[in-house]
Amino acid sequence: MDQEYRGGRSRLPGPDDGDWMASGTSAGQAATRRDAGVRQTRRVSNWTVAALIAGVAATSGYFAHAAATPAVSTVGTTQQGAVSGGAQKPSLSHAVVTSGGSGVTVGSSGGAGGTGGGTVTWRDN
Amino acid sequence: MSASVLGLTGRPMWQLASSGSAQVAVAERDALGTTARLAVWPAGSLRSAVGAVDRELERLDLAASRFRADSEISRMLEHEGEPVEVSAGLAEAIAVALAAARWTGGLVDPTVGGALIALGYDRDFAQVRMRRWDAGEAPEPAQVPGWQTVRLEGTLLSMPAGVRLDLGATAKGLGADWAARAALAASGAGGVLVSLGGDMTAAGECPQGGWPVLIADDHRQSSRSSSRWSPTQLVRLTGGGLATSSTATRRWLRAGQVVHHIVDPRTGMPAAGPWRTVSVAAATCADANAASTAAVITGQDAPTWLAARGLAARLVAGDGSVLLVGGWPAADNGRLAPTLPGQLGQPRVPAVLDLGGRP
Repeated sequence: MDQEYRGGRSRLPGPDDGDWMASGTSAGQAATRRDAGVRQTRRVSNWTVAALIAGVAATSGYFAHAAATPAVSTVGTTQQGAVSGGAQKPSLSHAVVTSGGSGVTVGSSGGAGGTGGGTVTWRDN
Repeated sequence: MSASVLGLTGRPMWQLASSGSAQVAVAERDALGTTARLAVWPAGSLRSAVGAVDRELERLDLAASRFRADSEISRMLEHEGEPVEVSAGLAEAIAVALAAARWTGGLVDPTVGGALIALGYDRDFAQVRMRRWDAGEAPEPAQVPGWQTVRLEGTLLSMPAGVRLDLGATAKGLGADWAARAALAASGAGGVLVSLGGDMTAAGECPQGGWPVLIADDHRQSSRSSSRWSPTQLVRLTGGGLATSSTATRRWLRAGQVVHHIVDPRTGMPAAGPWRTVSVAAATCADANAASTAAVITGQDAPTWLAARGLAARLVAGDGSVLLVGGWPAADNGRLAPTLPGQLGQPRVPAVLDLGGRP
């Protein structure tokens, strides 16, 4: 059994290592070495977890930002300022159409509905 | 409305309307017995979009209008009771109507044509309301044959003699879907909003925040407040379909009784529920159109019926009180984003549409 340090690391004695007491190492020395190894492993694990969390957060943030960045959008896109063919999406402040019952236009001069104003020449009820 | 006109030979003229933005063009014309309205951006796409909408409206009118002697649906009557080969367009319109009948549990039924004729809606509505009835001609319930009597196999249509189809609960919505798709393809970029009598489809990219749409009793309203009508609301449609059905429009007097165009297939009479106006957002305008009609017909249970299908809806009762369902925005400028695609009426045009239940 190799109990020497190699590159700052050593194998911890375990219950399967039946000859560790016979190798001249006292039980107290083994316990001390074991405790040190456990502490070192915990330190490494903690830093690994912290690094992983930081990495995931950074990646998520990047993709979230990328998704919100104006780009060619699809049906139903509501993001502000998305573009199409280089043109800024328009901003409308008032209704361009009305959703309501389908009344009829009578003697029409085309002036009906919406927000265009003009002469309304209808009445069906 | 400005005097600008987009002239297209042989059709009603489009007239430009204000959009409030130089980037968005809006135009309107008479179509299908009501008004068609088109909003498109970038504004330079208007001319090509108008041409595309015209072609789709003509295709729908020629296929499915009850009021044109030369329409397919009228000419079918020459072959009553016999299987008849119909165009792909009419087949799709009938398939959509039958699919709507199925998923609404028969609340929307394309075989109400006979009942509408019996009520007096046997001609273009502008003429219906001018007709005078004698006191002894009060409306009476008419038998509705039922959508199960209609069989569509591809483009081969069979139905018993005497059945009169009326596709009014879905056809305008389907027309808006067709027209929006075609207008967007013709435009090549940006977005379009096509409304047929207040039933509309948004395709492509919507303006910032969505297309601003006023919800009202009548699609010709433009005012935010009116003592004659119920309260209005401004919503922003980001895609899909939005339709409103109302008993406050297309009403007429028959022998002293007010009747309207939304027929309850269960009674053969105008729907008599508590809702005067119902607006629904759905993946397609055809679905929204069917759902809003079904909600008016189903009556008291409409909120539960709509919620069970995951549909956002706004219901206005006879007294003007408003009920919101399924995520419909409570505030002005709230967004309506119907789930896409998730169409309620799928499949649209299967190779063989056998809806079963034939008597």
